Amino acid sequence: MAAAAPGLRVVIAEDAALFREGLARLIEGRGHQVACSVADGGALVAAVATHRPDVVVADVRMPPTHTDEGLRAAIELRRAHPTLGVLVLSQYIETRYAARLLEDNAAGIGYLLKDRVADVAEFAEALERVAAGGTALDPEVVSQLVRSSQQYAGLAELTPRERDVLALMAEGRSNAGIAAALVVSASVVEKHVASIFAKLRLPPSEADNRRVLAVLRYLQP
Amino acid sequence: MAAGQWPARRPGGGLVRGIRAAARAPLTARARRELLFCAAAAPLGLCVLVVPVALTGLPLTVTLLAHGIHPAHHGPPAGLAIFLGLAVFLVLLALLVLAPRLARRLAAAQRRLAGHLLGEHIAGPAPVRAGRGPVSWTGATLRDGPGWRAAGYLLVQLPLAVIGCYVVVIWWAAGLVNMTYPLWWAWFRNHPAGVRLSPVPVLTPFGVLHVATIAGTFAAFAAGAAMVAAAPWLTRAVAAADLWLMRELLGPGRLARRVADLERARALAVDDAASTLRRLERDLHDGAQIRLATLAMNLGMAMDRLAAGKDQPGLAEVRDLVGAAHQSAKDAMTELRDLARGIHPPVLDTGLPDALATLAAASPVPVRLTTGIAHRPSQAIETIAYFCAAELLANAVKHSGASAITLTVTGQAESLLLRVTDDGRGGADPAAGSGLAGLAQRARTVDGRLEVTSPPGGPTRVTVELPLHA
Repeated sequence: MAAAAPGLRVVIAEDAALFREGLARLIEGRGHQVACSVADGGALVAAVATHRPDVVVADVRMPPTHTDEGLRAAIELRRAHPTLGVLVLSQYIETRYAARLLEDNAAGIGYLLKDRVADVAEFAEALERVAAGGTALDPEVVSQLVRSSQQYAGLAELTPRERDVLALMAEGRSNAGIAAALVVSASVVEKHVASIFAKLRLPPSEADNRRVLAVLRYLQP
Repeated sequence: MAAGQWPARRPGGGLVRGIRAAARAPLTARARRELLFCAAAAPLGLCVLVVPVALTGLPLTVTLLAHGIHPAHHGPPAGLAIFLGLAVFLVLLALLVLAPRLARRLAAAQRRLAGHLLGEHIAGPAPVRAGRGPVSWTGATLRDGPGWRAAGYLLVQLPLAVIGCYVVVIWWAAGLVNMTYPLWWAWFRNHPAGVRLSPVPVLTPFGVLHVATIAGTFAAFAAGAAMVAAAPWLTRAVAAADLWLMRELLGPGRLARRVADLERARALAVDDAASTLRRLERDLHDGAQIRLATLAMNLGMAMDRLAAGKDQPGLAEVRDLVGAAHQSAKDAMTELRDLARGIHPPVLDTGLPDALATLAAASPVPVRLTTGIAHRPSQAIETIAYFCAAELLANAVKHSGASAITLTVTGQAESLLLRVTDDGRGGADPAAGSGLAGLAQRARTVDGRLEVTSPPGGPTRVTVELPLHA
């Protein structure tokens, strides 16, 4: 990725020390800098104010209540620092959590299962994408949100293939990435993307903007 | 214990103590409270006398009234007699119908007195459960067991109330008055010499004495002192008897107490089971799941390094082995996640709507979810509701052939209502050994219920009603 300038400043919030250290090692192994590692939501907000990172990686379930403090901290951080990339990690993907995260803007947001960290290169790419203002949604988030938003007009007109393309777009992939995933040529993907924009009635303007809008329309219930 | 040891060590010590205690008895706070209780509870008990007075007095008054209006006749005209007779009958009937309600009021006052003055807190019976409308109200009143028991208490307590009044007036009041005789003899009897005085009556429990001399007043004082010394024990006996009656007749019945105990124990068991499962899931999350995630991440990093490494003999084999281990770790994470979610979905901690949203989104058949929960139920109930919803959705997907499912959850002041409707083929039978019977059983463990309407051809509607607390 072009925007993936090496040397991103990252803040990690994760209460399990073992996983936190592994994560820091992984991120540093990719040439980035872990400015600070904390273990709860309050400390995360404070660490961001101090260290001014490019992107934060936050666990959803942290002390003291072990419910959704990571998520709440992430939303609060996004309001305070709109350009900050926020990548939320969790053992579970919850539809409502995804909707809350994506409520304002899907740019610079990531929501992944912790399992995805195991695929180091893909995870690093997702992190860099989020830092650059892109989106990285777990395939599970996408499939859940797709199902719960199927009844909406416009989306209903999409063919199954176009829906697949849109789902991959929501995961944050580029046209080339989508083409590789679906094993088709880039021009076929471009045709699908144009058709999606038309069916969702998104006016031709800057391509990236339309992309984000399409994803948002798709994800928001 | 101490009382039992004293006489053995110091013969006579017990006796002295006993006398001292007896002398002090009328002055103790306990005696004062028991006296107050008798003084207040006895007149309250006598209120019941209103009923026989009304029963006999009312017809009498009516008859007299009728005669009074037409003094010239020997009897009232037939129409008026019937009217008055009917009126009396209605009043008596109203009194009878109201008896349990009035008895409850009086009994509640007695219980409050016992609680305030004697520290004996007797749990009241559950309130009458009446629906709307006068018929339902009357029916509920007539069937009100605790109300009738309260009425029974008031009847049985009546003689006790009479004895209570007697003790208060004769033993306490008269005793105290008697003790003052020597005082006012000196003040009011400063008559000239030679005047013969009529004797002064002295009220005792054993009759009226007459004293006419100063020595006699000291006898009256002695009698008064003896009465006041004995009075606390009498009031204590009356109060104790009354308390015993109250406990037997005014408290919840033995069966009701047992039911309440069992309900409490069951609620504890249900909540405990739910919190055990939550703890188990939490332990998995903080333990095995995070270790597996770290393991998979480390294996992922190892794979990365191996991929970057130069080809050496045997490296390909290592790569395969690490790759297999990496895949196994990822598969184990998925399996463990499904298992943990089946034990207790952690998202339930932020509420049923969040948990149900994910459940609905994961369904292969589109689910329209509506939630309106004004009163949040206990965690155990939320867990039961969640797993009921999961099972009902799975049933609808598996058996109904539906193309759309509606899941509605409403939390009212007293119950949580969960309804799953599908547009499938219907014909679901809870008796046919399906999962529905198990669900009904699950709801019953907390006094909930499950209702199925599923005519052949559909649609199927299953309603689960749960209390807000186990």
